[in-house]
Amino acid sequence: MAGAGIEDPGQQVDLSVDIAGVRFPNPVMPASGTYEVDEIHDNFFSPSELGAVINKTIFLHPRPGNPPPRIWETPCGMLNAIGIPCDGAEAFIRDRLPILRRLGPPVVVSIAGETMDEWIELSELIESTGMADLLELNLSCPNLSEGIPWSTEEKTLERVVSTVVGRVKLPVVAKLSPVVTDIADMARTAEASGAAALSMINTYKGMAIDIKKKRPALGNITGGLSGPAIRPLAVWAVYSAYETVKIPIIGMGGVDGPTAAIEFLLAGASAVAVGMYNFIDPFAMKRTIEGIRTYLAEEGYSSVREIIGLGHG
Amino acid sequence: MAAPVYRKAILVSRKESPKGYMHLVIREEQIAQTAGPGQFVMVRGWHTGDPILPRPFDIVLADPLKGIFRLCIKVEGKGTRFLSTLKKGSGLYVTGPLGKSITEFDSAGTALLVRGAGAAAVVFLAETLAKLKKPVYTVLSASTKSRLVCRSLLEQFSTDVFIATDDGTEGYSGNGTDLLDKLIEEGKVDTVYTCGAHRFARHVKALDLAGKVRGYLFLEGNMGCGMGDCHGCAVKKEGKDGYALVCMDGPVFRSRDVVVE
Ligand SMILES: Cc1cc2nc3c(=O)[nH]c(=O)nc-3n(C[C@H](O)[C@H](O)[C@H](O)COP(=O)(O)OP(=O)(O)OC[C@H]3O[C@@H](n4cnc5c(N)ncnc54)[C@H](O)[C@@H]3O)c2cc1C
Ligand SMILES: Cc1cc2nc3c(=O)[nH]c(=O)nc-3n(C[C@H](O)[C@H](O)[C@H](O)COP(=O)(O)O)c2cc1C
Repeated sequence: MAGAGIEDPGQQVDLSVDIAGVRFPNPVMPASGTYEVDEIHDNFFSPSELGAVINKTIFLHPRPGNPPPRIWETPCGMLNAIGIPCDGAEAFIRDRLPILRRLGPPVVVSIAGETMDEWIELSELIESTGMADLLELNLSCPNLSEGIPWSTEEKTLERVVSTVVGRVKLPVVAKLSPVVTDIADMARTAEASGAAALSMINTYKGMAIDIKKKRPALGNITGGLSGPAIRPLAVWAVYSAYETVKIPIIGMGGVDGPTAAIEFLLAGASAVAVGMYNFIDPFAMKRTIEGIRTYLAEEGYSSVREIIGLGHG
Repeated sequence: MAAPVYRKAILVSRKESPKGYMHLVIREEQIAQTAGPGQFVMVRGWHTGDPILPRPFDIVLADPLKGIFRLCIKVEGKGTRFLSTLKKGSGLYVTGPLGKSITEFDSAGTALLVRGAGAAAVVFLAETLAKLKKPVYTVLSASTKSRLVCRSLLEQFSTDVFIATDDGTEGYSGNGTDLLDKLIEEGKVDTVYTCGAHRFARHVKALDLAGKVRGYLFLEGNMGCGMGDCHGCAVKKEGKDGYALVCMDGPVFRSRDVVVE
């Protein structure tokens, strides 16, 4: 903390990054589905301090989500099978999007389609509002009964991304599933299909068994694993994609503070997202922003952009 | 409703009563000053990765003048075991007050039908009703006499406390719902809150649907954040295709509004 009259070198550091032509004032944002913008959260710290804001993934039509239990604690992480409940696009555009837009930071709108037609309709609908800066395609939710995530098969990934890119002018962010043979291949496919950036990673598919009930712990049987438990896997995913693609990467998976965030930046992420840790420490994202600033000042960097991908030597 | 805070708080005292239940008194002024009956806190006493998530507990009582509040924790798994071993003076992270506070106190007579850790949920409500000089009858049940939870607190605030034990070691030998039914027959209560047993919830819901009482349930659900972020603590809404969240829409629900297993 700077005392009166003493200059805090951290304040001189430029934290802004560029994601597909959109300027983020700092490289820290929430991961989709883990942070709500509302009065409760505003009381902790203002979401206008974030690098970007994002909604929980929406579908075109309302969905109830999965039956409980929906979450289960695991060592250093948690499984979730929320199933993306949502009120549908119309309600989102009417009630939620204007709130995100008014905050100040760039708005990333996370969408998912159940069919190809839905991807198209929803993308065009979001673009038509003029309230989004980036369109994130959640191609990777492991908890949907509709079948495999869209991003676990190259041909499907290519089809969705290239179709959406062909329909909207908004820069498209492809959010990838790590449950593939080689995520760098999927990153390359997304880039070749016209994605302007990548979000990686979504959760790993897994399960737990409740030994008291002698049944799967989650109502959906399987769920997605998140939290520090997956961080080394996520850092590797980002590192390997960075070697393969030129488009910027938003890195996530177990970020619990500045140290983990810096790891992702060094691995090649241009920004990081905090997911599960928002549940544990409502100040996690603010702490992460401040910690990155301090690290850069202490290490003698004037811009966060200087360390992106630096881990590759 | 006051917005919740996330703070490092201090454990002021701890006491086990009965065996397997730990009463923790925590100093955090803002929570103590703004909490209302029905609200809960998320508590984390660790920096470890296992356990990692905070745990939800009802606020048993809050003393705004002293800036302290009390929890009563049933020691079950990893997290509650950890919390039960914390020493006086330890720091722990608390977020709260969370959930909707109970704000309607217009009933002529209220019954509290509770068992186990469920008793912890209704003490604050009993205190509030007592302050308003409203009659409140508690039906406190347990497997056996030595397992009755929050007994002295409930005796302090209730107009009358009726005990039911499964093994007959104290009070009525049998189901607490029988004692509740008697109170209703006698015309003493028009409103019932219950917590701690599925069969209590089913019973209260049936009474509510029959128009005999206004029934309310304190619900639980695996909760990640306690403030609407994770959508983990879903409960099925009655008659509708969709879920409510215990943390944001509850934890107290009108019994006829939710599906009870
Ligand atoms: C709103 C609310 C208020 C509560 N108030 C009280 C109270 O005053 N006193 C009390 O003793 N208990 C209360 N509970 C239940 C208490 O939160 C759980 O017993 C506790 O989380 C179990 O943690 P553990 O580490 O012992 O178990 P573990 O089995 O290690 O827990 C693993 C995970 O499952 C979750 N979990 C396990 N059981 C429950 C449960 N019954 N309800 C919700 N989550 C659960 C935990 O939070 C954790 O995320 C309340 C629950 C809710 C939702
Ligand atoms: C409870 C929960 C809900 C999530 N919901 C979504 C979602 O709606 N859309 C999405 O793209 N990702 C969703 N995710 C995945 C996160 O955005 C993120 O990719 C993943 O959790 C890894 O980050 P973490 O380890 O920091 O949590 C969810 C994760 C959790 C834990």
